[in-house]
Amino acid sequence: MARSQSADPPVDLLGPVTGEVSWFCCGSAWGPCSSTGRGACGTCNSGSMQHAWPNTSDACWAITRPDSCGVGLSRRTCGFTHRITALCSGTSVVTSIADCGPQTDLFCGERSCCGATCASNRLIDLTPAAYSKIASLSSGLRPCEISVP
Amino acid sequence: MTSRRQVLKSAVLGGGAGVLAATALGSLGPEAAFGAAAPGVAPGAPDPDFAEGRIRSVKDNTLFVLGSNMVFHRIRVVDGTSLWKLGPVAFDQAKPGDGLYARGVRMPDGVLAAESVWLNIVNVKGHVRNITSEKLHLDHNGQEILCHRVAGKSVAVYSDAPPSADLSLLRVGQHVQVLGAWRPDTNQVDIATVFSPH
Repeated sequence: MARSQSADPPVDLLGPVTGEVSWFCCGSAWGPCSSTGRGACGTCNSGSMQHAWPNTSDACWAITRPDSCGVGLSRRTCGFTHRITALCSGTSVVTSIADCGPQTDLFCGERSCCGATCASNRLIDLTPAAYSKIASLSSGLRPCEISVP
Repeated sequence: MTSRRQVLKSAVLGGGAGVLAATALGSLGPEAAFGAAAPGVAPGAPDPDFAEGRIRSVKDNTLFVLGSNMVFHRIRVVDGTSLWKLGPVAFDQAKPGDGLYARGVRMPDGVLAAESVWLNIVNVKGHVRNITSEKLHLDHNGQEILCHRVAGKSVAVYSDAPPSADLSLLRVGQHVQVLGAWRPDTNQVDIATVFSPH
């Protein structure tokens, strides 16, 4: 049975939230990604402007548990759009939810920095097409700001 | 500030006679293609300036790539293109069979003039099942991936600490993210960076 969400208001309702962003593959793919499906929404594709969000459903929340890292996030479902801004470069991309993730609780407290600008906890994963708009894929992990466009 | 389109335009016009010839048949020249602002891509939609797939052949400065969705791509490497394969590499490191992601500017003739090409790059998360001085066995969604430490290349990032060549702080059972270069047609990866939350 899915555990209930925290009673605290989601931080993203109050304004932009900062966290870490990485990238993941989905849909038709090669290598270790070849066994990956089309994600929780059934539409995920590495070449599309999409992302994974930790709170797309009760079942998703039960896996990702950002609240265990002290972060409440709003329930947002397939197709909802976010703007993700890389704090390193200031560039941004607008993408839509296509999957559940990342598994925030497994990386609680992790912090990424660009100089003195830092952000903690994995709150969002982008497809390669989306991530490569705001950072090199070889960077792997970056601090970002997440907002509603 | 110079935009990536301006950089690519300069590179193509400076040394890409093939691109000029190819686009002569199109409705727009390369100047128009690079001079235009990058068109916005709707959230959720495929990005025409991005490609993925596996290299089928290499001819001159062009990669012929079959996408995993069976769409065929011609990816032109120009003067300003950066290539990655466990680190920055020269164009001759792109081999048939390699997987890739590429970002650039789609020319009127359908060629992708590449800004960046990442060869065999993978970014997988999983639990460490076993670790030795040279190898890390990763459980990625029930699939074992054998990750190789490459001297002089592999580093670990322990949260916000600077990258370190010391991977000995990684522990069996912990969760990590491995960014690396896939060895084509195997379950093996050469490690570029292991991200550890602590």
